[in-house]
Amino acid sequence: MNVSIDWLAFLQVFGAALAAGTVVVAFYALGLRMLVRAGRAPVVAPAEFTDAITVITEKEARRAAKAAAKAARKSPLTDGQKRVALVAAYASFFLCGLAVLGGLLLIIFGH
Amino acid sequence: METAVIIVLLVIALALFFDFTNGFHDTANAMATPIATGALKPKVAVLLAASLNLVGAFLSTEVSKTISHGIIQEDQIEPLAFLPIIFAGLIGAITWNMLTWLLGLPSSSSHALFGGLIGATLVGASVTAIDFGVVLSKVVLPALIAPFTAGVIAFLLTRLAYAMTRRYDNKPDGRDGFRWGQIFTSSLVALAHGTNDAQKTMGVITLALIMAGLQDGAHADPQLWVIFACAFTIALGTYMGGWRIIRTLGKGLTDVKPAQGFSAESSTAATILASSALGFALSTTQVASGSVIGSGLGRRGSTVRWRTVGRIAIGWLLTLPASGAVGAFAALLVVLFGGWGIAIDAVLAVAIILALFWRSRRNQVDSSNAMSEVADSGLAVKVKRNPPPTRRQRAILREQARRKAEQEAREKAERKAKAKADARQAADDKRARDKVRAAGKPGTGPAAPPVDLPGAPKGDEK
Repeated sequence: MNVSIDWLAFLQVFGAALAAGTVVVAFYALGLRMLVRAGRAPVVAPAEFTDAITVITEKEARRAAKAAAKAARKSPLTDGQKRVALVAAYASFFLCGLAVLGGLLLIIFGH
Repeated sequence: METAVIIVLLVIALALFFDFTNGFHDTANAMATPIATGALKPKVAVLLAASLNLVGAFLSTEVSKTISHGIIQEDQIEPLAFLPIIFAGLIGAITWNMLTWLLGLPSSSSHALFGGLIGATLVGASVTAIDFGVVLSKVVLPALIAPFTAGVIAFLLTRLAYAMTRRYDNKPDGRDGFRWGQIFTSSLVALAHGTNDAQKTMGVITLALIMAGLQDGAHADPQLWVIFACAFTIALGTYMGGWRIIRTLGKGLTDVKPAQGFSAESSTAATILASSALGFALSTTQVASGSVIGSGLGRRGSTVRWRTVGRIAIGWLLTLPASGAVGAFAALLVVLFGGWGIAIDAVLAVAIILALFWRSRRNQVDSSNAMSEVADSGLAVKVKRNPPPTRRQRAILREQARRKAEQEAREKAERKAKAKADARQAADDKRARDKVRAAGKPGTGPAAPPVDLPGAPKGDEK
């Protein structure tokens, strides 16, 4: 019985998945960071407050929206700096999406 | 040949039924985290999962090739005699799959399928008919390694997501925005599920077609109608499975935060997609569970509930041999009774499916028996409500405490000095008043001019 195992393939999967995940998470997190810097901290309440939602209540979501608005008003950055941050945020989100699309194309046409 | 065609039709029907149960069972796995964080409404999540499973099934055929052209060594078997064995293997897989689903035991549709096929082949054909190298490298080892891989990646990604968005000034950190991101990552998980799970059924049907001589063995790619049939069946199963989510609304799910859910889903999707590309037949349930545990551990102040982890791991390890045993039993009936064995298998399968279905209707569906294993694995990690501070936060707190102590010491010293000065001033004033009083007593004329007393503060010194 000839049992040959391609251990390198496992390393490939780990490396590829880690790299892809890191790119996606890093760019997305950077985008959020830039949005906050631009004075547009996203406050996204759950789409529906089902029983499963244990992380935030409706009251907490409203409070978070107020805190974000207050922080945006008190931002020490100039309008120009905020605009640059906003552009950087959208660029990060775009790169994140591009990475996902690239990965998918690689899987579809790579083999 | 007619018998072969009938058996092929039976295999296709059973394989598609397995595909349906697979989709039905796994909707919750793909969509458990976005529903838990509120990224998607349950109904939207189910619809999205079904559509993307459909699309995913068309993306790659590597996993299908592993099953139809890797596990079984065609030159070691009699093709037509092998058809009933595939049938027996499918019966083993479906029986085990439905049983674990009903009992709420952690299991994996994929491993049930492999276990059933391998068990049936061992009994119905021979040991040499199985390529153990492929079974080990493309089924068993990925099954053991993938959940850990996904867990480690999810752990690192969660740390990264939190570190990059952490703020030290108590202002909004924007982490809510990960809820938007979750719509995309959970879609990717559903897509990845389609690329891996739908292909397993394609592989089985293609294997049956090759064995019946209806497809050239040299071309292991699934035929277009097979891809369409499997894609639509898994999508339908996924959509139909959604009612369980809507009914239970994810009760019993753990406290999954958006940043954590985003990282877990990224890790799951990346691991499954990378594995699909290389032809590894993974269990999406196990990968998603590994990611949820890993991302839970990535949050500060989390500890593992080893008992829950142990229960899940035992369920996983049990799936392959248990479904193998059921498959082997079904194959044994075929070996012992020939054509009658197939009939007995078919009747038994229908009876078991109906019995389990009736039983599931009788029981109230709740979180204990209807929610996914992914939700179960979330409970394997306990996260503190108020996590301990990070190193930098500790340094900031220390610095704040030091400044406060310094400020207090300074204020205390100032208060002391002021009190001392006031006391001295009062004493000097008193002494001056006494002197003035003493100087004014002998005469009756106007009061003497103020005496310049030594030690008394002068006006310009104030």
